Amino acid sequence: MPPVIELDNLRVRLGRREILKGLSCRLGVAGAGKAIGLLGPNGAGKSTLIQTLLGFHPLSGGGARVLGFDCRTQPREVKARIGYMPENESLIANVTAVSFLRLMGQLSGLPEEAALEKAHETLFHVGLGEARYRTLGTYSLGMKQMAKLAQAIIHGPELVILDEPTNGLDPAARRRMLTLIREMKEDHGMNVVLCSHLLRDVEEVCDEAVILKDGQIVHQADLEAERRSNRRFVELEVTGDDRHLGAALQGHGIETVREADGRWRMVLPPGVEIDLLWRVIASQDLRVHKLTHRRDTLEEIFLKAVGHLPAGSPAADEQPEEVATDGRL
Amino acid sequence: MAVYKRGYQRYQGELTSRWTRFLTLPRFAWGRLLEQKMILIVLIASLFWPLCCVAFIYVSNHSELWAGLGGDLGDFLQIDGRFFRYFMDTQAVMAVILAALAGPGLIAPDLAHNGLPLYFSRPLSRLDYVLARLFTLVAMLALVTLFPAAILFAMQGGLAGLGWLANHWRLPFAVFTGFTLHIVLVSLVALACSAWVKWRTIAGALVVGFFFILAGAAEILNEVLNVNWGILFNPARSLYTVWSAMLGVDAGDGPSAWTCAIALLILSGLVCLVLEKKLRPVEVIS
Repeated sequence: MPPVIELDNLRVRLGRREILKGLSCRLGVAGAGKAIGLLGPNGAGKSTLIQTLLGFHPLSGGGARVLGFDCRTQPREVKARIGYMPENESLIANVTAVSFLRLMGQLSGLPEEAALEKAHETLFHVGLGEARYRTLGTYSLGMKQMAKLAQAIIHGPELVILDEPTNGLDPAARRRMLTLIREMKEDHGMNVVLCSHLLRDVEEVCDEAVILKDGQIVHQADLEAERRSNRRFVELEVTGDDRHLGAALQGHGIETVREADGRWRMVLPPGVEIDLLWRVIASQDLRVHKLTHRRDTLEEIFLKAVGHLPAGSPAADEQPEEVATDGRL
Repeated sequence: MAVYKRGYQRYQGELTSRWTRFLTLPRFAWGRLLEQKMILIVLIASLFWPLCCVAFIYVSNHSELWAGLGGDLGDFLQIDGRFFRYFMDTQAVMAVILAALAGPGLIAPDLAHNGLPLYFSRPLSRLDYVLARLFTLVAMLALVTLFPAAILFAMQGGLAGLGWLANHWRLPFAVFTGFTLHIVLVSLVALACSAWVKWRTIAGALVVGFFFILAGAAEILNEVLNVNWGILFNPARSLYTVWSAMLGVDAGDGPSAWTCAIALLILSGLVCLVLEKKLRPVEVIS
C-alpha cells in the first residue's frame, strides 16, 4: 500500500518567494484509517502544502504523490480520491444544504440519485439533518463548518484534508467535530490530514504529526508512540482507605510507591491504559482528588521544533499534564 | 430504511464519466437561473420577434393574402439577407439583455462566497469550470438566437421549397456563424464581468455598460480623430459589419469585415485573459 503522502524534495514558489523549500517525507505509511497532523506557525507553508497537493499551485521542483498518484501528472486521479474542507468560509449561498451537497457529490462523480441519497445521509451524520432544507446563507458559523465537512466526505474519499476544522466552533461543536474526525478514520477507514493551530486538536485525533517552519519540515512525530510512552508515569491523590490499592495495582503489573497519605506514584507497564487505573480505584471505593501523568506534550514538542523552547528544557519535564481532578471521571 | 436511521457509509459504487460530471454544472445552473422570474420573462419576450418573423415568412409565402393590396409589397416581403439581418439585430440585443441577467449569477456568487476551492478540489480543472459556465450561457442564448433561426430556415425552406435554400445557401451559414460568434463573445464578456465584479447587480450593469460604453468611446474616437476605424472598439458594430459581409448586405462605411473579425478575436482574447487571471482557487499575494 503506498503512503498517503509522499514528498520528495518538494519545492513550491509563489511569485518570487519560495514557500516550500525541499520537503521530503513519507506520511501515513501505517495503512488506512490514520490521521496526520500538520502543524506550524503562521507562514510556515501548511496551507501551501495542502493546496499544492490539491493542484492549486504548480510544483517548482521535486515531486509529490498522494495515495500513490503523482500530483504533477495525475491531478485528476489525486483529486478524485480527496475530500477537502477549506479553512475559510467557502460555500455556495442561496442554495439549500441538500442541493449544495448533491451538487458537490455529483461533481465528485456520484450518480444523481446516489448523490441525493448521500447528501441526506451525510447531513444527518454531521448533525445537520433537521436543517438540511435551509439555505446555507442562514447557517451559523458552526453549522457552516459542519456543512463544509459534509461536502468533503459525501463521496467517501480515501483521504480527507481538513484545514482548521474547529475554527470558530464552541466547545460542544468542537467536541462533535473531533468525534466525527475520529469516526472518519476509525469507523470508515479514511485517512485524514488535519491542519490546525490548536495543538490539542491534533494531539487528540492524530496518529502522527509533521511540524513545518519556514517551508521546511522541522519535526516528524509518531504521536501514538508518544502517547503510549507518556502514559507510563502517573501521580495519584486519593481519599479513603487506600491500604489495598498498592496490592490491587501490582496485581495488574503496575509498580507503585506510596509517598504520603493518599499520594501515590506509579509506572504503567506497556499495554496498560489509564482506564484500568480508574477501574481499580473505583473497585477500592476511593475518591480521586488528582490524577496526573507527566508527559512531553505536543505543545512542548512543537515549541522545541520551532525553536521557542530549547531541547531538553526542564519546563518540558517538570510540568505535568492534568488529566482529571476532583474525583470526576 | 429512513435516511435518518441509516448511518453514514462511504460511497463504494460506480463513478460517473468526466462528461457527466462536466454537465453537472450547467444543469445545476440552468435550474437556478430558471427560478428567476426576470430571466423567464426576458426569455419569453425574446421569442416575440421570432414569432413576428414566422408570421412574416408565412405571409411572404402566401401571395394570395396580399395580392389584392397592390403596390410594391412583393419587394418588401422578400426573405433575404436583409430580413435575416433585422432578425439578428433584434435577437442580438435580447441576447445581450439575457446575458446581463444570467451571466453574473454564474461566477460572481462563487467568487463572493469563496466557492472555487470546492470546485477545484474535485476532479474539475479551471478550464472545465470556465467551459461549463460558458456552455451554460451559450446554450441559454442559443434558445433566443440559434433555435429561432433554425425554425425560420426550416419554415422558409418548407414553404418556399428547396430551390430557395439552394439560391440562398449562404444565409443559414451566415446566420449560424454570426449568431455563434455573437453569443460566444457576449457570454465571455458576461463571464468576465461576473469574474471581475463580485456583486451580481453591478456585474449585470457592467455587461450592458460594456457594449454601450465601448460604442460611445468608438464614436468619440471617430469624431475627434475624423476616422472610421474607431468602430473596431465597438464590438456590436464590428459584429454588425461581420454579419453584413456574411449575409451579403451593405454594412456602411468602416474597416473591412476581416479587420472587424480580428478586432473581435483580440477582444475575446482579452476577456479570456481576465477569466484566467480571476478564476483561481486561491488568491496568491506575492
